[in-house]
Amino acid sequence: MLKRGFLTTVAAMSLMAAAAIPAKAEVSFMYAEWIAALVEPGIAAFEAETGETVKAIKLPGQGYDQRIALDLAAGTAADVNLMDSFMVSELASAGYLEPLNDLASGWDQYQYYLPGLLEVASYQGKVYALPTDTDVRMLWYDKSNFEKAGIAMPWEPKSWADILDAAQKLKDAGVQYPFQLPAGIKQGEATTMQGVYMALLGADVPEGDRNRLLNRETNQWIGDSPALRRTFDLYHQVFVERELNPADLNYATDIGAAVRQALADGKLGILASGSWEDACLWDCNNPPSREDRDAQVGWTPWPGSGEPGTKTTTNISGGWTIGVNANAADKELAFKLITSIFDEANFKEWTLANHRMAVRTDISESPEYTADPFLAKATALAADTTGRDTVPGYQTVSALIQQATSDLLDGVSVDEVVQGYHDALVDEFGEENVITYE
Amino acid sequence: MKNQANPWLTSNLFLLGLGLLPAAILIGALLYFTAWAFAFSFTDLALVGRKSVEWNWVGLQNFERLFTRRGFLESLWTTVIFVFFSAIVGQSVLGFLLAAVLRGSQSTIRSVVEVCIMLGWLLPDIVAAFLWSATTSQTGLINQLIVVPLGFPPINFINEYALPIVTIANIWKGTAWSYLLFSAALDSVSREVVEAAKVDGATPFQRIWLVQLPIIRPHIATNMLFITIWTFTYFPLIFAMTGGGPGRQTEVLAVFLYNQSFSRGNLGFGSAISVAMLVIVGLLSLVYLRMLREPK
Repeated sequence: MLKRGFLTTVAAMSLMAAAAIPAKAEVSFMYAEWIAALVEPGIAAFEAETGETVKAIKLPGQGYDQRIALDLAAGTAADVNLMDSFMVSELASAGYLEPLNDLASGWDQYQYYLPGLLEVASYQGKVYALPTDTDVRMLWYDKSNFEKAGIAMPWEPKSWADILDAAQKLKDAGVQYPFQLPAGIKQGEATTMQGVYMALLGADVPEGDRNRLLNRETNQWIGDSPALRRTFDLYHQVFVERELNPADLNYATDIGAAVRQALADGKLGILASGSWEDACLWDCNNPPSREDRDAQVGWTPWPGSGEPGTKTTTNISGGWTIGVNANAADKELAFKLITSIFDEANFKEWTLANHRMAVRTDISESPEYTADPFLAKATALAADTTGRDTVPGYQTVSALIQQATSDLLDGVSVDEVVQGYHDALVDEFGEENVITYE
Repeated sequence: MKNQANPWLTSNLFLLGLGLLPAAILIGALLYFTAWAFAFSFTDLALVGRKSVEWNWVGLQNFERLFTRRGFLESLWTTVIFVFFSAIVGQSVLGFLLAAVLRGSQSTIRSVVEVCIMLGWLLPDIVAAFLWSATTSQTGLINQLIVVPLGFPPINFINEYALPIVTIANIWKGTAWSYLLFSAALDSVSREVVEAAKVDGATPFQRIWLVQLPIIRPHIATNMLFITIWTFTYFPLIFAMTGGGPGRQTEVLAVFLYNQSFSRGNLGFGSAISVAMLVIVGLLSLVYLRMLREPK
């Protein structure tokens, strides 16, 4: 009796266990919600062509970087993944990604990718992901609030002092968020790129990479420099000393939504962000008409600090990529999904409709692209751009920078913040890999 | 003992071992994760990059940095304030008061209040975070209904009072548990004892303080044990509402641990933080467990 009961239990449990193991997957694909308009038609085309099903994992943009790193590290990531380009070399160095050179060699559209952008997504000479777009960064401003504050338009600030002046005028005119400068850890990479790096590049002369986080000659991280101190002081001015912006937008439950809401409510003055805002300030996947957008906002390049010898305007470019998990069951099928997404017709339509900066010559040289006034201006800005320090370790440094701005927001002095940043760099990379500029 | 067992089972050692297996696996799994965190707290293991595969033993370095680097001690203090005000003062005291007051009230009133308390508990953390963000924003309900009509300029609550706001949100969210537990505990106090006290001339306050509270003391300790542990390690509501900010104002240990492990990518340091949290919660639990013992 007991024996039969026992065996029945064992059998039932095995059945349950078997049911809990998912059926052999198709192709799984993880991406962020804001890129749905590009990838979803691609997925549909892939499914129609191959008869396979795609298990699509669509996530909100916030916290996406942490999620993808954790999933790949834990071995639970999807077969195909969207990721920020700065993470590619780091993820590749840990062996989480599949090199694409061989897979891509048979694809006729691979030749059109800009070599410089493939370089960003490479590690030790191999390409690990294909870029979806690149970008430039600028200061967006709400025209009606500028009018209210009596600031002449088109606004063309020549130095940080001009930005702070404008922000002061906006504050005096009662604008709630006069200068929304990304800061803190919750903003993630936006703090580093849209805020700190854009200021840093114009904070000191470019010689010897004095205006960067990394000395690219020697591969040493810069733990203390006049540029870092000036940049941190800018944050101190904006958030603490002159109180030119409340900190809360940087910590909203959904930051993107909160910024869009602030714009819609007429509470935003200046926003430090990038070219994607031409669509995403309203809705990444479905922006309003050109006229509506132009009536509401304008943009201007980030000026340098105004210190002698610094750049007159600054810019840094990033972008996103799609790559294949090194543990994907069927890598050829996974790459096939990527080619469906990036198939010219689909890719071009999304690039144009969303005002993304093209990563392929067949799109960037097309008449529709070159005729677009916004893209033409943004491309001109890209003539003098730079990239992130996409060497392994960048993600950590970027997080430390974000943490430094958190401390600045709390009113910690610039001296103390620089000291803390320097010590943390030494903790992570060792004394020999950290330098100081006087 | 042996005689009581089924002879068929005792004669079959293999089957006995097989029966033990689930328990062994369960205990092994529980120990495995703790041991994992403990072991890696002595390494420089990273989330991504080379150090995620070629990590090194670094001795006590991570633990030293808990005290020599900005972050841990500040977060510990924030956590202590958060736990004390939201769990111990807020949820526990409020839960008890509600339970005590509602005991004697009409069943309809009681049901309505109970449902209202439970709603906070039943809402998913993320939904609750959005609700609280919206309610406390400059154009939110509190400003529209209270602050502005009273003639004050609207207040940006998350910007000015981040820690009090997440504390209140957590009280709202967690009071239901304490209420239910105390409600059940008070029901277990026999009516005769309370009535005897009444006959002896005890005031309502004395009846609660001198009669009911001592009787339900083990329940209080159990409740404290639970809510302290889970508030100490509570993450989703705060993370979704503020992400630890503005600045570090609401960076409790759980958020600090997340930021160090997954944003900075330093799993070794993150493990050291989790070991430190384990020790602190363990010590607190010991205190409560002593409270649970019957007085001699």
